[in-house]
Amino acid sequence: MSEGPDEVTLQRKAKGKRPFYFSDPDVDRLLSMVMALTGELSVTRDRLDTLERVARAKGLFSASDIETYQLTDSDMEERAARHRAIFKEVTRIIVGELEDLEDRDEQDYRAVVDQVENDG
Amino acid sequence: MSIAYKEQHVHDALPETSHDELARQHFVRSFKEHLVTALHPGLKTAYEKRAKPRFVAEHQREPQSIQEVGQVMKQDSHYQAWSSLLRTSQEMMWSAAQIPVERAIADLAAQAAATPKIGSLRLDPDLQIPSYHTAVDIHCQPGGYHTEYIDNDVAQGAIYDRAVYIYAMGQMGVNNADMGDSTVAWLKQEHPDFKPTRILDMGCAVGHSTLPYASGFEGAEVHAIDVAAPMLRHAHARASSMGLPVHFSQQNAESTDFEDNSFDLVVSHILLHETSSAAIKNVIRECHRVLKPGGMMLHVETPPYEGMEPFDTFIFDWDSENNNEPFWRKSHLLDLEALARDAGFQSHTPIQIMVPSAFQETQRSNTFQGGDFGGGGVWFVYGCQK
Repeated sequence: MSEGPDEVTLQRKAKGKRPFYFSDPDVDRLLSMVMALTGELSVTRDRLDTLERVARAKGLFSASDIETYQLTDSDMEERAARHRAIFKEVTRIIVGELEDLEDRDEQDYRAVVDQVENDG
Repeated sequence: MSIAYKEQHVHDALPETSHDELARQHFVRSFKEHLVTALHPGLKTAYEKRAKPRFVAEHQREPQSIQEVGQVMKQDSHYQAWSSLLRTSQEMMWSAAQIPVERAIADLAAQAAATPKIGSLRLDPDLQIPSYHTAVDIHCQPGGYHTEYIDNDVAQGAIYDRAVYIYAMGQMGVNNADMGDSTVAWLKQEHPDFKPTRILDMGCAVGHSTLPYASGFEGAEVHAIDVAAPMLRHAHARASSMGLPVHFSQQNAESTDFEDNSFDLVVSHILLHETSSAAIKNVIRECHRVLKPGGMMLHVETPPYEGMEPFDTFIFDWDSENNNEPFWRKSHLLDLEALARDAGFQSHTPIQIMVPSAFQETQRSNTFQGGDFGGGGVWFVYGCQK
């Protein structure tokens, strides 16, 4: 997506070498992403909390209506499908590597590069 | 424990924040509180049970310096996790404060410009931003104090104003005024006859520590300087919206255009540790020059390292290597008495005292530690009478 001519992008990384703490800096990177995700989860929970408070204030429904809502089998099935889609996304890197293992025809990547570079 | 929650006073110079933008900022505040209250105490345990014994086994004595504690603590998994999280919380804090400002940057500049002003603002576009501010972005604010993105920009000031509140977890009061409030309260109690009529605040940023002098010493002419234009524009709009007249000008505290012997009181708040060995001498010399005979210089800082246990010093020193505070360590090891004497303060003994925080409506950790700046409940005040 391109920005309009008036849009200003602020510098987002502080000037100065960023220290890393674990023996593998990828652990720091991953932790930073985990905390960003935790932050976004918290933002979503806060939004739900506001939604419940507004709904109660407006006389629509209360938090206890949510607590006591009886899920039907069909509700559960829809949710389970959504859970499966989430798991599939989150575990993509692990599942992908497994698929590689199971594929007996898998070639070394470098060999493929050699092949396409030198086939003619 | 938890730190009592109270939201920042929403003055006219702050950006509007959407529901989710605010929730993101609140998360960072809670994240920082969790680090301070839940993970920080484990550092001492990790040191006593794991890191120190490892050092003792190797050297047959306990660690005696920041460097020696660091040798073993930097290998400790709890320290690594805490540091990684603390650094991340700092980055998330700036990001969360930046998002609403980035969205509304032009509106904020227009809003600040349109605020009916009291006091004054004098900018100097030719002022050289000192290298100790351009070499790295101090305490990891992207762009530092001084970067400007548009004409009449206030972005860095608006971001800083909000981030200070999140950083202090509200422990500096609803207007982040605790350093100024505490110093004014101390002056009034210890020097009841001291009635300054002309006051200078050096390195004022958004003027959060300046305003207590304007409200606390009625009728006094209050000046405040900073090297960064976006801070000063925001500070002027902020002070005006709160009805307090302050004369802001863009100047380096090392060398100002104020006349000799022209102020009764010169103050700064967490300025000195953001300078350099050469600059700090110039700043103290400049304080001496502009003060009237009998006038008072007071710099609010965090306490020097002298007399602290090596482990506590190592933790308190975290910012110097991990939060872009390159002068933090050296500034906490200076001979402050000699610094004042060499700058011309020779007829009185320098003040080096702990002043209790004026903001008492919170439960604090009561420690000085990385990431919990306002947690000590006291401020270190260094100064001297001329």
